[in-house]
Amino acid sequence: MSRTFVSIIKKEFLHIVRDYQTLIIIVLMPVMMLLLYGYAITLEMREIKIAIVDHSKTPQSRALINHITSSNFFDIKARNVPESQFEDLFQQRLVRSVLVIPQDFSRSLNSNPQTPVQLLIDASDPNAANYILKYLSQIVTEFEIEQNPRLHFPFRVVPRLLYNPDLKSEYFFVPGLIAVIILLISALLTSLAIVREKERGTFEQILVSPVHAYQIVVGKVIPYIALGFVDSVIILVFGHFWFKVPVEGSILLLLGSLILYLLTGLSFGLFVSTITESQRVAMIVTLLMTILPTIMLSGFIFPIPSMPVIFQYISQIIPATHFLKIIRGILLKGSGLADLKNQLFYLVLLASFLIAVSIRKFKTTLE
Amino acid sequence: MQRLLYLIQKEFRQIRRERMFVGIIFIMPIFQLILLGFAITTDIKNVSMVLVDEDHSAFSRKVEESFAVTTAFRYLGAVQNVEQAKQRIKKGEAQLAVVIPYHFERDVKSGKSPGMLILIDGVDGNSAGVIAAYVGRVAERLQKTWLPKSGLSPIQIKNLHLTELRTRMIYNPNLKSVDNIVPGILAILIIIITSFLTGMSIVREKEIGTLEQLMVTPLRNWELLAGKIIPMIAVVFLLLNVGILAAGLIFGLWIKGNLFSLYALALLFSLSGLSLGVFVSTISQTQQQAMFFAWFFMIFSILLSGFFIPIENMPPLIQLITYLNPVRYFMIVIREIYLKGTPIIYLWQQALAMTVFGIVMFVLAGLRFQKRLG
Amino acid sequence: MNANEKYAVVAKDLTRKFGAFTAVDHVSFSVSRGEIFGFLGANGAGKTTTIRMMCGLLLPTSGSALVAGFDVFTQAEQIKQHIGYMSQRFSLYEDLTVLENIEFYGGIYGLSRKQIRRKSRELLAYLKLEDRANTVTAELPLGLKQRMALSTALLHDPEIIFLDEPTSGVDPDSRRQFWLLIYELAARGKTVFVTTHFMDEAEYCQRVSIMQEGRIIELDSPQNLKEKYKSESMQSVFLKAIGEESS
Repeated sequence: MSRTFVSIIKKEFLHIVRDYQTLIIIVLMPVMMLLLYGYAITLEMREIKIAIVDHSKTPQSRALINHITSSNFFDIKARNVPESQFEDLFQQRLVRSVLVIPQDFSRSLNSNPQTPVQLLIDASDPNAANYILKYLSQIVTEFEIEQNPRLHFPFRVVPRLLYNPDLKSEYFFVPGLIAVIILLISALLTSLAIVREKERGTFEQILVSPVHAYQIVVGKVIPYIALGFVDSVIILVFGHFWFKVPVEGSILLLLGSLILYLLTGLSFGLFVSTITESQRVAMIVTLLMTILPTIMLSGFIFPIPSMPVIFQYISQIIPATHFLKIIRGILLKGSGLADLKNQLFYLVLLASFLIAVSIRKFKTTLE
Repeated sequence: MQRLLYLIQKEFRQIRRERMFVGIIFIMPIFQLILLGFAITTDIKNVSMVLVDEDHSAFSRKVEESFAVTTAFRYLGAVQNVEQAKQRIKKGEAQLAVVIPYHFERDVKSGKSPGMLILIDGVDGNSAGVIAAYVGRVAERLQKTWLPKSGLSPIQIKNLHLTELRTRMIYNPNLKSVDNIVPGILAILIIIITSFLTGMSIVREKEIGTLEQLMVTPLRNWELLAGKIIPMIAVVFLLLNVGILAAGLIFGLWIKGNLFSLYALALLFSLSGLSLGVFVSTISQTQQQAMFFAWFFMIFSILLSGFFIPIENMPPLIQLITYLNPVRYFMIVIREIYLKGTPIIYLWQQALAMTVFGIVMFVLAGLRFQKRLG
Repeated sequence: MNANEKYAVVAKDLTRKFGAFTAVDHVSFSVSRGEIFGFLGANGAGKTTTIRMMCGLLLPTSGSALVAGFDVFTQAEQIKQHIGYMSQRFSLYEDLTVLENIEFYGGIYGLSRKQIRRKSRELLAYLKLEDRANTVTAELPLGLKQRMALSTALLHDPEIIFLDEPTSGVDPDSRRQFWLLIYELAARGKTVFVTTHFMDEAEYCQRVSIMQEGRIIELDSPQNLKEKYKSESMQSVFLKAIGEESS
């Protein structure tokens, strides 16, 4: 390694360390984000506000209502409101749902095979609406079993949830957050690294020194790899000991793929840096090209199979999609090299492609 | 007053010169609406599933068929045994496996109520819960058809009295998440423009040195601030309207409530976002720092605003934090007006909260934004 | 004639601390009306801090100063009506055209539309920029930008002009032209307060003060200083002055 090369790396390290405000952000932000969002992100609903209108007022209707009160899914906010006020209830957001038990509920229950109960759901939030329907279906089934002691099912459904039997959302989101945070740091910081020097005019100084283009690029990248790596380890340790996310697979494989993923982020950041002229533009390009797709399209929160087909294809381009499979696979499922070879191969391919492109692009900027 | 007009004129000239700005105003809303509107979907579709049929009976084929025709599932075919099914799930190729045990048909008919094993990839807890519910719905239908054949006497069947939920989904009968997400995106766009771009444009003047030049002029503090804020409000309203049109044309989603109520509350929201932006600019020296702050806040405002993650279910401490997020309030406002046509009087609490936030931020920003250095 | 009318700027024991660091340490001086007053010193000697206090950009920690008869502590806003300021950093909007910049600064100094039009014409003619009035400022050469920045800082016809290293990074010819402009201003009775680290520029000043580590170590006319230090040029005066002080 030439001496100039070493001094570039050193300089870059000094930049990072001296700018302590940014450094604090880099170190603290991931932990804060993990703590905040690790707890916050869950799509599940509890204690849903509901209104119950009981026109029947019989032991049976009260039994049904009892089932609702004794579950902790619902919070009964209003009772026996006239129908004319339903709209107001919804618009003032006092309740999300209204259950109406008809007047002939008991009579019908004793004579007819099927007895209807009206359920109104504010579906402006479809996620909540789905949960309301799911919970009430469960409650109604319990009620049916109670009302029909002889009822038995032709067969039973025995669900078994693999890898995450308690359906903890942390198991899903903590590894995902690692992917997002690493990208945030790697792509954002490097995308600014070169543009900042361009803006300040210090870049030309480096260009006139006897250094190869690739040395400049690599010299810029190495400190951020170190930084990103330290950051990811912090998050991993935190995720494991604080959120109790298991590590089923090989740590070595995990760290290896982590570096690979870091490289894709960093090299993309560099690429952005070489094609933009101001920090603002670099920032916005990075935002639009990396962070947003990573949060929205990688399967971090929203399941890819549910997206329109074209977005499913786009999601395959995004490195985070593949890295998420790797990290979730290793941490939760104990997947090995053989299970993840496709994903790893793609990351290798993408990282080398991006580095090659940014060095090439960088060279042409010089000439 | 005249000085203010000149400031505003200058700001507009700069905006017009910067091609990126024009892009941001017209392309960003459309781009984001398409990207986020389609991508953010809390519905679970195309669940890939495999089936293990150990029984090979008419009943097991009926089970297979029932799952295969359900649109929520993407049936990949049968596999040999449970072990293979687990492998497929481990590799991420399947999310669900249904196992029909030996003598399934015989046990159903004799009233033994056999258990049907359902394996679900639990990594994504939310999806897993929904998948379980889907399976439950399919199973329920099968159970109802097979009830008469499951060893019950006709009299026993006659004595069964079941309850049926007749559900009406109001405001969004087809449960499209797009309808919920699109107004949310507009809220996010407004906060980005107001807090992010305002902060940046002030810090840029700080970096270039023009802010120092303005400080030695007789411009008053409030004129300097108003000169930044007023053009931004114009930009926000332009963008909001582009967004409203795009939402209507692309997703067929038009405002149900009163447009002017929305404008009024959007103005309030923009002001709180703008004062936040000014505040950020006072605490950051370089554009890079401003961007980091803006970034942090943006993620915060996306994830902790009720945009797609329900606030009610967060731990109490985090719920308290969300009260500091102005987006939280506007998120409710825009959805209510958009989807439910809620009259503005029912939104007074949100309006009040945004006003308080705006005033506090404005005072903080005003205190920090001095016509002095150091 | 009382002191207030004779002097454009009077500073007494002016001090500014940043935390434990004292940037400007009990500085006293006065500048007469119509004088070209130079501030010499190495980078970090406290020149910029002093000038910023004069302009009302920084509040002094202690001491007192009157600029155009107004107190820097309490009357910063009145001061701003009477001064022009140009910093070492470029102060025009690069993404606005020449004419738009003039119009903008004219506007915020409260000039009427008619005045702005007249001033713009005069200025463009003076800078020989008539045919480039609608060029974006970023495209002008640096020397021209600098002269234009000064001219726009003078749109409101201030009595006192503060220039903080106005000529750094400019070629010698542009610097000469810039100083011609300063002479013209002085001839029109303006007070010019200029900091520089070009010693040849110090020769153009009527009086100079030499600053080191926040203190004024010399204050006199270039002629007297050269005699005192028995030097031919301000360059060697400066070196001897700061050398003596630190030894």
